[in-house]
Amino acid sequence: MNVIEIKNLTKYYGKARGVIDVSIEVEQGEVFGFIGPNGAGKSTTIRTLLGLIYPTSGSARIFGKSCTTNPEVREDVGYLPSEVFYYDGMRVIDLLRYSASFYRKDCTKRINELAEIMDLDLKRRIDDLSFGNKKKVGIVQGLLHGPKLIILDEPTTGLDPLMQQTFFDLIDSENKKGATVFLSSHILREVQKMCERVALIKDGRIIKLERMSALQENNFKRIKVEGLSNLDKTIFDMPGVSKLENGGKTASFLYRGDINNVIRKLAQTEVSNLSIDEPDLEEVFMHYYSKDG
Amino acid sequence: MNMYLHELKSLRKSTIIWVCAMIAIALVYLSLYPAIYRDGAHFKDMLAGYPASIRAMLGVTVDSVTSPLGFYSMILAFVVLCGGVQAMNLGMTILSKETRERTADFLLVKPVSRAAIVTAKVLAALTVLLVTDVLYYAVASTIASMVKQSSYSGGLFFMINLTLFFVQLIFFAIGAVVSVFFDRLRSVLPVSLGTVFGCYIVGALVAAGKDDWARFISPFRYFDYSYIIQNSRYETPYLITGAVIVVTAVVTCYFVFARKDIHAVS
Repeated sequence: MNVIEIKNLTKYYGKARGVIDVSIEVEQGEVFGFIGPNGAGKSTTIRTLLGLIYPTSGSARIFGKSCTTNPEVREDVGYLPSEVFYYDGMRVIDLLRYSASFYRKDCTKRINELAEIMDLDLKRRIDDLSFGNKKKVGIVQGLLHGPKLIILDEPTTGLDPLMQQTFFDLIDSENKKGATVFLSSHILREVQKMCERVALIKDGRIIKLERMSALQENNFKRIKVEGLSNLDKTIFDMPGVSKLENGGKTASFLYRGDINNVIRKLAQTEVSNLSIDEPDLEEVFMHYYSKDG
Repeated sequence: MNMYLHELKSLRKSTIIWVCAMIAIALVYLSLYPAIYRDGAHFKDMLAGYPASIRAMLGVTVDSVTSPLGFYSMILAFVVLCGGVQAMNLGMTILSKETRERTADFLLVKPVSRAAIVTAKVLAALTVLLVTDVLYYAVASTIASMVKQSSYSGGLFFMINLTLFFVQLIFFAIGAVVSVFFDRLRSVLPVSLGTVFGCYIVGALVAAGKDDWARFISPFRYFDYSYIIQNSRYETPYLITGAVIVVTAVVTCYFVFARKDIHAVS
């Protein structure tokens, strides 16, 4: 059974575009990535899915039911919004207990476990917490009832790299226990690490939906080289190189293919600096636009 | 039940402050009563010198102002004004605070229907208003019986105090229905203060002429204390109007809140 079924979902805010004709199906146990730049419609899709906003047309279902007509399906959903805000004057533990009171199970043990993992002090007042620590409260809050579907909207903003790793390990273990994960992000790396399938959204439309492995084959790197002396143009004359900008000592290009080939080529020349980065999302999208005509 | 208790808890502090303010009004004015009673003739002369609209605004009826209930109803007008602001504030914040304080992403993804949320919140608000009024009534009736210079009917005292709750219900409902349409208001106090004081002043001005039709404009004029004291009952048309406002507003809240889009934090 599909855990998430979004069919021809269209949402307009008055005349402003939210999403147009979005269709996504996520199977049980899958880790599904949803990437796109800011304002592409990721949050609109998620909020419709959760029943926070109503679709203009089409449908969004969880476990076969719509959240607006069957709010009880949210019993099995854990949601981590991109920015977390909580009631003033509450301690962390009060908030978590309040959150747990909505679910028909005892979550006390799980709260303590999760707080331990995320290194969260339960006795602090939420007002006094830093942004990152509030995010941790959000993570514990979203997972304390052992949801079968975890929906994450830009989950790692505000977390330090160590905590990000801890967080992804946590999500991974939830997934191994059977939870389905829907991960929305504008950071390609996060999605690449976790997800089996991925949908790319831009300007409200899904422009690509494919397996991560397929996407990986199209894995672009943005390479920048600085040479000790002027770089010879011919060393970049090899398959997989595109968008070459060569300006004397420095060169910058996109590379797609076996990374060893380019390293061997670069080893033939004296290099003073080298950086290999993920291309930003825009470049990946541009690639898909050109490929799809 | 959990949402109801959570709301009550979060409203605790403000409720205590409102109750104290209302009791303070009653205490200050009632403590003046023995002195005013002794000097009744002068006091009446002074009030008679005021323009009729000012007297109406202050809720003063010159003939009965030195009787216990007459004097108390003058005070009650101020208490009701205060209670009206409390109720309208409560109505405006109770549903909209989730969007304003950006906690909607917490509460509205829980496995509860929007209708259940409205119910819990409305019940919590009604509880707060009831608690406020019961506490106020207990203290005010104690003070009144201490300062009285002649006997008065406890039943009538209760009846005129009950109008506090009625007026609060109306303003609560108005506040709630305003908030579901304008939930992006940054601050609710100016709106509720403005509406309640506006109603009070308009009510005082139009009611000076005693035109029955004009009294429908301001909830403060739905309950005429001298009428209640003389007839031992409320005026049915106004009671019905009040009930219609409350029911319509609350039903509208359910419909609008259930269908509205909860926008992302921006």
